[in-house]
Amino acid sequence: MSIRRTRLLIWKEFLQLRRDRLLGGLLIAMPILQLIFFGYVIAADISSLRTAIVDLDHSSVSRQVADGFANSEYFNIVAFPESESEVKPLLDRGEVRVVVVIPERTSYRLAQGKSADIGVIVDGSNSQVSQVAGAYATAVVAALNGFEPPASAPSLDARVRVQFNPKMEPVNTMIPGLIAVIMMLSLTAIMSMAVVRERESGVLERLFITPIRPGEYLIGKVTPYAALACVQMAIIALGGSLWFGVPFNGSLLLVLTGLLLFMLISIGLGLLISLVSRTRAQAIQSVLFIMLPSMVLSGFIFPIESMPEQISWVSYLLPLTHALIVMRGSFVKGAGWEAMGQPLLAMVAFAVVIFGFAVFATRKRMVV
Amino acid sequence: MLREEIALQARSLRRSFGEIVALDSVDLSVPVGALYGLLGPDGAGKTTLLRILATLGNLDAGVAEVNGSNVTDFEREQRAAIGYMPQQFSLYPDLTVAENLRLFAALRGVSKTQRAQRQQLLLDMVGMTKFSERLAGNLSGGMKQKLMLISMLMHDPDLLILDEPTTGVDPLSRHEFWELLAQLHEVGKTILVATPYMEEAANCDEIAFIAAGKITKTGTPDQIVSDIPGFSYEIRAEDLFEVQYHLDSLEQVVTTAMTENALRVLVNAGTRTELAQELSGFKISDITQVPTDLETAFIYLAQQAKAATVDNDRHFQEVTK
Repeated sequence: MSIRRTRLLIWKEFLQLRRDRLLGGLLIAMPILQLIFFGYVIAADISSLRTAIVDLDHSSVSRQVADGFANSEYFNIVAFPESESEVKPLLDRGEVRVVVVIPERTSYRLAQGKSADIGVIVDGSNSQVSQVAGAYATAVVAALNGFEPPASAPSLDARVRVQFNPKMEPVNTMIPGLIAVIMMLSLTAIMSMAVVRERESGVLERLFITPIRPGEYLIGKVTPYAALACVQMAIIALGGSLWFGVPFNGSLLLVLTGLLLFMLISIGLGLLISLVSRTRAQAIQSVLFIMLPSMVLSGFIFPIESMPEQISWVSYLLPLTHALIVMRGSFVKGAGWEAMGQPLLAMVAFAVVIFGFAVFATRKRMVV
Repeated sequence: MLREEIALQARSLRRSFGEIVALDSVDLSVPVGALYGLLGPDGAGKTTLLRILATLGNLDAGVAEVNGSNVTDFEREQRAAIGYMPQQFSLYPDLTVAENLRLFAALRGVSKTQRAQRQQLLLDMVGMTKFSERLAGNLSGGMKQKLMLISMLMHDPDLLILDEPTTGVDPLSRHEFWELLAQLHEVGKTILVATPYMEEAANCDEIAFIAAGKITKTGTPDQIVSDIPGFSYEIRAEDLFEVQYHLDSLEQVVTTAMTENALRVLVNAGTRTELAQELSGFKISDITQVPTDLETAFIYLAQQAKAATVDNDRHFQEVTK
């Protein structure tokens, strides 16, 4: 391994990156745009559902439930009707879209160790709103419970536990996840292009007849993009914390370990794609082949728990799934090494296998 | 007698890609200091052979040696002796001329002072000094080839292997490029250059003619021409294309080729008078016997090679029936 040659290759790669203004611009613009898309647009869209709360119990429990809804971004409490008979006119006039009914004796039933139902009436005239509102109402109550949400929305089981997180904002799960997603998007896509481009033009072969070693080539290739990925991560992490107020409760070391592992995986995937692809078109298709399932099945947008079992096992074959668990668990919830052990180990395995294959493939190409 | 020193050697070299036989027991030896031409039509196997000799390609059977060492156990460091210029433009288009030269020389371990000296010298040699800060991708086709040539020379290899360096380049640039090769030849470099152009091969000390994966002829340009059987005539007439059409249908005519204002024909038998009689129906203004030229030789050799492959195929089909 020659440091001089490695430095030369890194210099070359940075030089090319600097010349490609469009690519550089895109790589900086992408995290900012995604931050806005995922942090702002998605969260804001459903944040102001006009809601009425009918509290028939008048207890500390019922106030907790009411606070849970009031603190959630999706519900905007506009009315506190005294009885159920006042609800229908409100819905009819469209003054509220959601009505939460906390029945009498809710706290009594809970105190007895029984479960209690919380009624959620949703304006069905807009099916999208009713679906979303039902799902989020479920989520809010589930958060109060610390339980998984049940499948159907309108009738809710609400055995309240004291331990809960009143602020279950989507931004808090979106933005830590976004860091991993952006890293995968940019690193895998760019790495696959970077090598296959050299290969298509024959430069790769020209490099390989010089005395450079596979390791030198890989480090030279990877370093600038890894640096760039760090800039992207910093943009999202800072934007998320400063602008969207996403709390950082976890261990920095743990988060960085997770990110480093996922960086190796993303780079390795890109390298592998470029080494098996003969043309850029093939590389693009391969990247899409990995990206689409990753976006849909990893739990980034749709929760894995809501997927059919036949499909959800595929989720765990995607490195992104594990990276998201670590990012969300550690970033916001502050989960420690023990809790994150399993996904971290899974990522170590992915990194070893994928990066190992990439190094092996590069070596093989170079020896020819 | 002292045996000539051999820079590049191939013995019974064989290489196939699936069912396609790219090289079929190829023998070649290029003496040190030679300007050696590898001539053949497209798809003859030139690139495959050059890549193997440049230690870049795999071989199925046979032996390939560079400076006496077998290419299959060639050390990475030994490659410094070889300069290989592939057919495709393979430098970084988004780096400048100077940056490309610097990168590839430095990767080969050329020192900074040597690099600066050589860069100046080589840019001067190809007349590109004022383009040193231009992006390589923005150079003209001819200049790109010159840049490829000098980037190969930055680490001062003794052995140059060039794969069709002038294909797709304008005639003036081609001429200039060959003058550069002549200069390098003069200072003692061994040069093996593939070309599909006959007139380029004529500049070489020695030529190997390759077609359908086989080397069918080797020798100096003069030897190759003089070994072509038959007689060449140059015909001038009003309707040359009709004359050519007629001649192509005759059995004794081996090849015909249109030059600028005349038709060249190679016949395996017959005198000038017989040819004139055969063409009595046309308005012929002149028939002159001429020495066979390289172009005609090329066509003849290519046709021979093709006929041999067809025979082989027929034989193969009969055997496998």
